[in-house]
Amino acid sequence: MDIFDFYRKDRWPHVFCPGCGNGTVMNCFYRAFNELGLDLEKTAFVGGIGCSSRIPLYINSDALHTTHGRALAFATGLRLSRLDLSVVVFTGDGDLGAIGGNHFINGCRRNVDMTVICINNNIYGMTGGQASITTPHDYQSTTTPYGNREYPFDLAEIAVAAGANYVARWTTRHVHELTKAMKTALQKKGFRFVEVVSQCPTNFGRRNKMADPTQMLEWFRESSVRRDKARTAAVDHVDLNLAGQITVGEFVSRDRECYEELLGVGKHGV
Amino acid sequence: MKPVVDLKYCKGCNVCVYICPKKCYSRGAEISEMGYFATHVSLPEKCYNHNREGKLICELCVLSCPDQAISWFPETEEEKGR
Amino acid sequence: MSDAKEYFVQGNEACVEASLASGLKFFAGYPITPSTEVAEGLARRLPKAGGVFLQMEDEIACISAVIGASWGGVKAMTATSGPGFSLMQEAIGYAAMSETPVVLVNVMRGGPSTGQPTRASQGDVAQTRFGSHGDYQVIAFAPASVQEMFDLTVETFNFSEKYRVPAFLLSDAEIGHMRGLLRVPPNIEVIDRKELGVRRQDKASEVPDSLVHPFPTFGRGHKTMVTGMTHTDDSRIEPEDPVVHSELVTRLNEKITKSRKDINRWEVINEDARIMIVAYGSSSFGAREIAANDRRIGLLRLKSLWPLPEEPIADVAGKCEKMLVCEMNLGQMYPHIKRVALEAGCRTVELLPKIGGDPQTPSEVRSKLREMGVI
Repeated sequence: MDIFDFYRKDRWPHVFCPGCGNGTVMNCFYRAFNELGLDLEKTAFVGGIGCSSRIPLYINSDALHTTHGRALAFATGLRLSRLDLSVVVFTGDGDLGAIGGNHFINGCRRNVDMTVICINNNIYGMTGGQASITTPHDYQSTTTPYGNREYPFDLAEIAVAAGANYVARWTTRHVHELTKAMKTALQKKGFRFVEVVSQCPTNFGRRNKMADPTQMLEWFRESSVRRDKARTAAVDHVDLNLAGQITVGEFVSRDRECYEELLGVGKHGV
Repeated sequence: MKPVVDLKYCKGCNVCVYICPKKCYSRGAEISEMGYFATHVSLPEKCYNHNREGKLICELCVLSCPDQAISWFPETEEEKGR
Repeated sequence: MSDAKEYFVQGNEACVEASLASGLKFFAGYPITPSTEVAEGLARRLPKAGGVFLQMEDEIACISAVIGASWGGVKAMTATSGPGFSLMQEAIGYAAMSETPVVLVNVMRGGPSTGQPTRASQGDVAQTRFGSHGDYQVIAFAPASVQEMFDLTVETFNFSEKYRVPAFLLSDAEIGHMRGLLRVPPNIEVIDRKELGVRRQDKASEVPDSLVHPFPTFGRGHKTMVTGMTHTDDSRIEPEDPVVHSELVTRLNEKITKSRKDINRWEVINEDARIMIVAYGSSSFGAREIAANDRRIGLLRLKSLWPLPEEPIADVAGKCEKMLVCEMNLGQMYPHIKRVALEAGCRTVELLPKIGGDPQTPSEVRSKLREMGVI
């Protein structure tokens, strides 16, 4: 499908900052969606509040732009009322893991059929750069001017522990791997979670000596370690500083019954 | 096929300059109509898809570009010869 | 009526029956006294009726899921009480702003906070109208019997669909848990939302499109965009534009206030009485007994609370000398009723508040009327 069959031409161009990783994620998703031959008319998109949650508003399909943190709850209701529609959720680290934390873990546990793309830029970007639950320890943000005292969540590991059927994490530096993971996710059933570590040069990079988006991409490349090769400390859940690494790869791919099957209702999956 | 940068969309972030393994792009020296130092395809013949039709490879620039500003165009006979 | 089926049920159970009769297909609930029977009843009945029942992780998830389901095109409901109702306010504002038809049953209990989980109050009636931020209007009904738990639940669904607005059934621990006679007529009038692209001749389509836009259900090729942000009629997001915002929010409010006459529901006993009591739900029990036995005392029992039924209140206020408002709170409808009544010429409007769980007894009402010098 042509790019402007996929995106709403009358909303173009998007408002994301120069160098923002959101645009990269959109490219990978568009390619994955297209290569699988999926139908926009049979897909509904849901987003919370934040820069990444705005992506559904650019796609030429039904879009539900919800309240902060609650995208998964809205998506659950939408999906279970319309089993003929596939649901894709775009959300962010704060939207999903902070205010939306409860819906995140229960969404994984409940395993309703949906694909959730969490664009983790380690910051609350849209509101100007406040610390997020994935901001690394000691890093600068507008609410951590003395360096973040807290330690970050590992969203992918939480999804694994909470029962999601598919969990993968890549960065915007790994566009091919990310596209492939999205393709895999879109074809599975149940709760499929793809975390994308992405650059926010404007509100994260700039305050942390990485104002240029290419500096952030290089930081991703240097810190990324494939999951099977990761140092033990990175998968040691006690080290919430993630041992200074970004573990990438497929975390889990299982086939727990999705919620629709457990309810005994209609179709599921793509 | 050759990569072409659409100056209507390029915001001069230079991710393509960074990501291209063959260094086909360079940082813009001139301000585009949109007001950015838009990137410049300085060495299109170095691209992996130079003289390639059908299934393209690499495409790191197209996939990475945050503004969907890069797309593939057929090359002229003259461009293919380089 | 002879065809009607008769049941002896609890108020909450009557609500369950009514929601199924209205075509409910999605319920998301969370256990909270004294509303839990609604969720439990639907857990048993809704799947058999081809619907989906979900117990969500918290009340915010409940109302959010209900709104999401409504965009799938189905009638969706949740049930809660005070503490859960407070949690739901943000999403209620979202439903108002996005014009999503949803039904919310609030079986009110003693508040504030955890308060009296098992005792009745009418402490959330103001919150129903003003609980979320910003200017918006909702529709709310107040049943006073098991039968009305059924009848008014059907009305709540119908008006929610007709006006594309969150609509509320404001019950309380007494009415939710009391048992009584329920007659279910064979034919119930059910209103479904006007759908974009579907032409029908029914109650919903009587409302002009300029007031209530046809509902663009998901998955029908409309490329619908729903948002809580300020938006234009063609779903462009324009939060910076004062004109767009003002037009949108004004329409959302006028949609309801201009339809008051269609929505107002009330009952009057002894309408020419010089002394008029205004009450609703449980707070009407004591007053009803007095009015039934003394023609000097009238009762205006409000069956709908929001939008405020100004016309029936003004009507009785214009004829009576003194008015007494009975509420199981410290005066939440009272300021609004008083405003309308004074404007209509009634010179004295007093309040008999009662909190703690029991409704105003007939002797308490009589004492107050004596104090007011009317008997």
